[in-house]
Amino acid sequence: MAPLLEVDHLRVRFKTKSAVKALIEKDDDPYIDGVMGVSFAIEPGQTYGLVGESGSGKTTVARAIMGLLPVHSGAIRFHGENLVGLSRDRIKPFRRDIALMFQDPAGSLSPRLKIRSILAEPFRIHDMMPENLSVEVARLLKMVNLSPSMGDLYPHQLSGGQARRVGVARALALSPKLIIADEPTAGLDVSVQGEILNLMAQLQNDMGLSFLIITHNLAVVRHVSDHVAIMYLGRFLEQGPTQTVFHRMRHPYTQALLSAHASPDPDAVHHRISISGEIPGLVSRPRGCEFHTRCPGVQEKCRRQFPDKAGAGKDHRYFCHYPLSVPEN
Amino acid sequence: MAEPVLNIRNLSVNYFTPRGTVQALRCINLQVPPAKVVGLVGESGCGKSTLISAVIRLMAENARVAAGEIRFLGQDMHRLSSRDLQNIRGKDMSMVFQDPMTALNPVFTVGRQMKDIQYRDAVSRKEKLKRASDMLSLVGIPDAVSRLDNYPHHFSGGMRQRITIAMALLVQPKLLIADEPTTALDATLEVQIIRLLKELQTGFQCAILFISHHLNVIAELCDFVGVMYAGELVEKGSVRDIFHRPGHPYTRALLECDPSVIAEPTRFLPTIPGEIPSLIDLPAGCIFHDRCPRAAQVCKNTPPPEVSLAEHHTAACHCLEV
Repeated sequence: MAPLLEVDHLRVRFKTKSAVKALIEKDDDPYIDGVMGVSFAIEPGQTYGLVGESGSGKTTVARAIMGLLPVHSGAIRFHGENLVGLSRDRIKPFRRDIALMFQDPAGSLSPRLKIRSILAEPFRIHDMMPENLSVEVARLLKMVNLSPSMGDLYPHQLSGGQARRVGVARALALSPKLIIADEPTAGLDVSVQGEILNLMAQLQNDMGLSFLIITHNLAVVRHVSDHVAIMYLGRFLEQGPTQTVFHRMRHPYTQALLSAHASPDPDAVHHRISISGEIPGLVSRPRGCEFHTRCPGVQEKCRRQFPDKAGAGKDHRYFCHYPLSVPEN
Repeated sequence: MAEPVLNIRNLSVNYFTPRGTVQALRCINLQVPPAKVVGLVGESGCGKSTLISAVIRLMAENARVAAGEIRFLGQDMHRLSSRDLQNIRGKDMSMVFQDPMTALNPVFTVGRQMKDIQYRDAVSRKEKLKRASDMLSLVGIPDAVSRLDNYPHHFSGGMRQRITIAMALLVQPKLLIADEPTTALDATLEVQIIRLLKELQTGFQCAILFISHHLNVIAELCDFVGVMYAGELVEKGSVRDIFHRPGHPYTRALLECDPSVIAEPTRFLPTIPGEIPSLIDLPAGCIFHDRCPRAAQVCKNTPPPEVSLAEHHTAACHCLEV
């Protein structure tokens, strides 16, 4: 099957100083790399999980796909058509097919609009006003298991879970094919988190939607996504089918991230792969392999040279000079 | 159990709002024994933060203690004068807040802030700064002496949380209150901070009242656990009782919802259907009855008794399987 979305060596750079300042300081490269050449593909009806710590560039990837950030190089193909470099007018039809659920559910809803108007906005922007708007709004609310009377409320009258549902409804408004969900469960209680994820799974079953889910919650990704990429400082250090990455990981960072989860068993014995410190800033990107400053198995070569891409079986890719051995089973 | 550091008895707290009186806490009984870590777990709106604000007496203006008492080292916190309170807060009782980004003053260096909180001690400035840098190295900040001259914005989130923990422990409190200290941090940092708190607690022998909505963190750090729901403490017990032998249906449901305990990957996760009831018009009977899978007729009419399941393990429920 042809992939729905194909991202090919995507690179996003941010300017760190003005052109004049760069000239004065004789800095011929006044940029930092937010995303350093990531490639992945999402099949129709599938869910791709993007995992990483804060500052790893997950949201930047999402914004680049949405055309909200200038792309430095690489391609973003949707249904085979490259979206990079398209003009505003040309890209607009694609925007209908790709919807974004923003990170902060309450903050992404305008406090001055009623839910009804918030849900009408996508139609207005794309000149696709349905004949009977209130029927359409009621239909959207029903899809996310909210009562149609909620259309008359303001965002501050909703609970966190309800606001999140409105975010889902708004993303669904123009019947997209791909929904990018940025931290769909952050800040929600565990009991509500399940409701939102179940709703998304239900919609995926019913409508054949594809999802790109961005999260730092590995427990969630393990259940909901078919493929997963582990991101660190703008690179996919490891990517592949979820089961493979979780059970036959080759990159030490993946292993460390997986072992960093507290267990609900007070008697659990933790085999923690301790990684010390925090993710370095993009401005001070380490030389060689970016993870070497925290890697438990760091060697001389890691400090000098970024590893080449290595593959291990179908779709499973990683970047490491000294990959972990695969557990026997 | 030894004489508790903190003893909360029959505490009820109300908020007066234009829409009516919100009964945010009802009849809470909780003890924090010396040198133990007591965890409070519950979802948003269950009253965790109200309980803490009542303990340190930093309540909102429209909040009133309707009944009960809070005894800290034998003194009734709500009868103390503000001067006596000053002598307790930041000395015998200190606190780590949720958001490390806003807990530190941005216009003073970290060293200055750490020196200032030792204002009670009659030692030289040099000695205070020495203590501060020692404490910073203890919480794992490299190069502590030179970093005293840095401002909070020079530190990352995880580092700042380490600094706030260092400041809270600098005064050698008898009780440390930690309000969701890891919620704003990534998983790799979360386990680092938990490990740090555990080590320091063992070293300093202070009691900790630890608030979180994250069950796994509670399981890893705490000795005793209280589970809160809609303003009530529905179950409490040792950490093993709560996680291995949960009694209350709410505790069970909460544990089952955690995606990390479900071994086989599944698209559909368990949830707790329904919403927290309004705390203005409280339902009669058990507060959890409309969401409870085991609810019987008696649950709708009669508030549940507190049933003892084991030593120090109680749950408020009519339908416990004993």
